[in-house]
Amino acid sequence: MATAGGEVTCVDFWANGFGMRARIALRELGVAFRYVEEDLRSGDRSELVRRMNPVHRSIPILIHGGRPVCGSVNILEYVDETWGNDGGPRLLPRDPLQRAHARFWADFVDQKVFSTQTRFLKSKGAEKEAAKEELLDQLRRLEEVLGDKTFLAGDEFGFLDAVLIPFSSMFHGYEQHGGFSLETECPSLMRWVRRCKERDSVKSVLPDEDEMYELHKKWYGISE
Amino acid sequence: MATDVPAVKLIGWYGSPYVHRAEVALRLKGVPYEFIRDDPINKSELLLQHNPIHKKVPVLLHGDRTICESLVILEYVDETFDGPPLLPVDPYERAMARFWAHFIDQKFARPFWMSFWMCEDDEHKEAFVKEAKGNLAILEEQLKGRRFFGGDAVGFLDVAACGLAHWLGVIEEVSGVTLVNGDEFPAFCKWAKAYVNDDTVKQSLPDRDELLAFFSGNKEIYMALARATLHK
Repeated sequence: MATAGGEVTCVDFWANGFGMRARIALRELGVAFRYVEEDLRSGDRSELVRRMNPVHRSIPILIHGGRPVCGSVNILEYVDETWGNDGGPRLLPRDPLQRAHARFWADFVDQKVFSTQTRFLKSKGAEKEAAKEELLDQLRRLEEVLGDKTFLAGDEFGFLDAVLIPFSSMFHGYEQHGGFSLETECPSLMRWVRRCKERDSVKSVLPDEDEMYELHKKWYGISE
Repeated sequence: MATDVPAVKLIGWYGSPYVHRAEVALRLKGVPYEFIRDDPINKSELLLQHNPIHKKVPVLLHGDRTICESLVILEYVDETFDGPPLLPVDPYERAMARFWAHFIDQKFARPFWMSFWMCEDDEHKEAFVKEAKGNLAILEEQLKGRRFFGGDAVGFLDVAACGLAHWLGVIEEVSGVTLVNGDEFPAFCKWAKAYVNDDTVKQSLPDRDELLAFFSGNKEIYMALARATLHK
């Protein structure tokens, strides 16, 4: 059942936030999979990645029965449609409007939050301050989406939680880089982070925050 | 699934391919809707109220529900209303359709746009044209001899690619740059013709002469923007 339709492989790198989404989703739905590590620190992509994702040469890549699915949000939808079922856990809400909202906010995270956090980490001085404020605004916006709910779309952990929770592995890094505390700036979001981290799927996938920050410091040329 | 109550409205700007995506989806499902024409230079309170994050169109209003982002709207329309499915049924085919739709919006879009609006003598233009043609070749391959990306009928990916069918010819004419020709991209050219001639699609395509006038009027702006965003 968990591997209906053939063997499942996830090609990813331990520090890749987009890939963490896929691995969390697979674990949430109890799908057995083989993890193949692609070292993003090396400049060249492996033959496997070049063959399975010739268009973007990026990871994560989900390979199911020999066929690749690329794009982290795309993978979440595919995992839900293939292994989610009425009797058990699903990633996306059932109602079309709630599904639309989940997809809208996932797109917001990818279009806005990701590019802002990258700019924040890479820049200095006034540009860094502006990016910091923008990032905090965006996180507060997501706090509004959470509201009083347990998880981002309701009572159950799902698609939108899987989309955002990997960013929490860089929260310590953001705080160090920007000189602020997310407990102060976004307290209810931080409570959501702790609830997510209680789940086996999230616990087993999120990397150590110090290691994440050290790696990103090298990647983005951040000097203390 | 109710299709006539409550009312459906669509906020859009005339001539936007993203708005066209939403209109075609509604028409393919046979959903009556009211088009609320907004002005990108002078955005309405209605738009700003319903899409405060991006302040863009299309925005679908379904009763008291608001849905933004054209591809999100396509999926919402597909899941909410009866009628022929826009997305394939098989999960892998759905994943492929979504992948290519995002390819068009992300990797494909920039070199494509820059190819048209960079100055003739700009050293970067050739590189953009090469990349744009490479991307077109990838899409050509995806058609695999089918009439539409979706098979025999217009589907999700065809609608997502609409800009390449109707708007492309206008942009080529205004910019003087021809990217697509029948020799290099035969399947693609056949697809574009089939798309714009589809009975349902036709109803929501903006008038070609009006588009021509619009793009001609904005040519200098597009060229200035292309120069300005070159190193982004």
